[in-house]
Amino acid sequence: MSALSWTAPSFFYLLPLALLPWLIHNQSKTIVWSKLLPVDPLSYWINLLLKSLASLIIISLLLALAGPYIPEQTVERYGEGAEFVVLLDRSRSMDEIFARPPLNTLRTERQRFKSKRVVSTDYLLEFVEGRPDDRFGYVYFSTQSVEILPLTYNKDAILATIRAGGLGKGISKTDIVEALQLAAKMYEKEAYRGSRNVLLISDGGQILSDTEKRRLKKMYEQMNLNLYWIYLRSVRGMTLDETAEDSVLWEDLPERKLHAFFKTLDVPYQAYEAGSLEEYAAAIADIDQQQYQPLLVAERVPKQSKTDVFLWAALAGLLVWAASFWLSYVGVWQAYRKTT
Amino acid sequence: MILSYPRRILLTAIVMSLALLLIVAALWLPPVPRDVKIMDSIFVLDITDSMNVEDAELDGETMRRLAWAKEFTRQTLLEMPCGSHAGLAVFSEARSLILINPIEICKNYNDLIKMLDQIDPTMAWARSSEVSKATYTAIRQADDIDPKPSIVFLTDGHESPPIHESLFPKFQGTPGDVKGVIVGIGGKDLLPIPKTNEQGEIEGFWEVNEVMHVDVYASTRGDMAERNAQKPRTEHLSSQKKSHLETLANRVGFDFVSSPKDPKKLINRIRDASDTREVTIDYDLYAWFSGLALLLVLLVFLPYRWIGLGDDN
Repeated sequence: MSALSWTAPSFFYLLPLALLPWLIHNQSKTIVWSKLLPVDPLSYWINLLLKSLASLIIISLLLALAGPYIPEQTVERYGEGAEFVVLLDRSRSMDEIFARPPLNTLRTERQRFKSKRVVSTDYLLEFVEGRPDDRFGYVYFSTQSVEILPLTYNKDAILATIRAGGLGKGISKTDIVEALQLAAKMYEKEAYRGSRNVLLISDGGQILSDTEKRRLKKMYEQMNLNLYWIYLRSVRGMTLDETAEDSVLWEDLPERKLHAFFKTLDVPYQAYEAGSLEEYAAAIADIDQQQYQPLLVAERVPKQSKTDVFLWAALAGLLVWAASFWLSYVGVWQAYRKTT
Repeated sequence: MILSYPRRILLTAIVMSLALLLIVAALWLPPVPRDVKIMDSIFVLDITDSMNVEDAELDGETMRRLAWAKEFTRQTLLEMPCGSHAGLAVFSEARSLILINPIEICKNYNDLIKMLDQIDPTMAWARSSEVSKATYTAIRQADDIDPKPSIVFLTDGHESPPIHESLFPKFQGTPGDVKGVIVGIGGKDLLPIPKTNEQGEIEGFWEVNEVMHVDVYASTRGDMAERNAQKPRTEHLSSQKKSHLETLANRVGFDFVSSPKDPKKLINRIRDASDTREVTIDYDLYAWFSGLALLLVLLVFLPYRWIGLGDDN
């Protein structure tokens, strides 16, 4: 339970108005000499009560006008899901058509081509939408990495960020190592809530220096992050793992090097090689299935207005006040009729 | 006017009963629907080197242009009516890069502000600053978003490399198709521009011989050498390029505001420039009812006697 907040606290300046009933006697009757009145303890107390009630009414109405509310709060509960930091490659090569058929194949039907960027964005959106409890963060990376969306439960924000990633053209240079490091750092400053994942979607690799390798290895192993790499294949037939039919040209490809390094990490790592829409969708679905573990979920409770409480107080006070004045009017009226 | 005692009692009773009715109304009358005009906009922040010049003023404080842009964007987001959508983008090199598509600002204020905080010169992926082209790309990308947002482009208008006055980059779209406002930042005086390195860290200032002083086209023309030589060599310095921004705004059908002081006024300009949408919100009348009730209650206790209205018998 958090403290009450006020939308218009300037109404507090009017609170001294509550003293008015104690200073002003519009409703009392002036008489020649007060000693003439019999001492009546009951009316003394009634008078005191009415004045307090009048102050109460004024205070309650002022407080109601000041707009009391309990601010939006987060309540924690256990859910099922995971935390993800999304690293979506925004390099130029991602603008190329995804799963382009080789040029020597005959086109049997008219196909609409989508860029790798659009495809990965679309599926990522679907993935995020299908996971209600997860917490997502988003790293923007070019030569520098920036954690543009720190880990959040806010689905609107992550969806809008992913959508933005699908717009426009790519940028020239990207540094995957920087991004991977930043992803680990994003988790470092957070309390442990559940399964921690780094989801890298890219169409290329990078050759790492030994220092970079050591640093990444240390970070990922220490924090036990799960690493997923959805690799959008740009060379037909090439696989991340070496096979018997390898072309000599593929041996030194940066993506292979990166994959080999990822495999040396002592953390759960999985690579998905997507060459077609179906494969890409399957990879996403696979990750979706794996990541349902207990997760501490923070839920937002929207701001609640507490105006009604004060209005009720004013209402109760006013009821007594109005009733007592109607009553005294009847009494006074009868008394006046007798005397005149 | 002097009221007799029974009359005063009667009046008090009536006034109090009225106040009572008003509070009942405040508690139980359902909220009335009200239409609010909201807008979708994308704030594009210039993160090029010239934005590090310290000559933008906000509330009497001089700060870096980018700091001004961030703070002013934050204040503008805060002042926009709930239901409005806002997105964020950065501009470096010759293009705008959208970081987040427009989302509702009140519910997502926290995340938007966190992202705004992250915007930094280190995000720049190149060291040039082609304002006009960046405006065009922002327009092209906004065109792909549904509903089409307006663009709020915050920049100092410094083009580097400079452009030839008659060879303005061509705008392919229809002016006014995507609406927007260009917000000019920076002072009148030419000041040195901090230079950033590959990592985006500031290392000294741009020197006079490190930047181009004439546009690419003119510099390749031998016959123009003489004229080029006469041109002032001031491209390593920067001020707010108002006339250039105004020309650019005309070209794309945008509005132009130079160094606005009040976020509310900017919101009005954005609203005037954009296609607004109407959203119905529930408007609770409780404040009116309880305010009126309070006035009535106070009426009973006003010091009439002191102003000669009351009486005493």
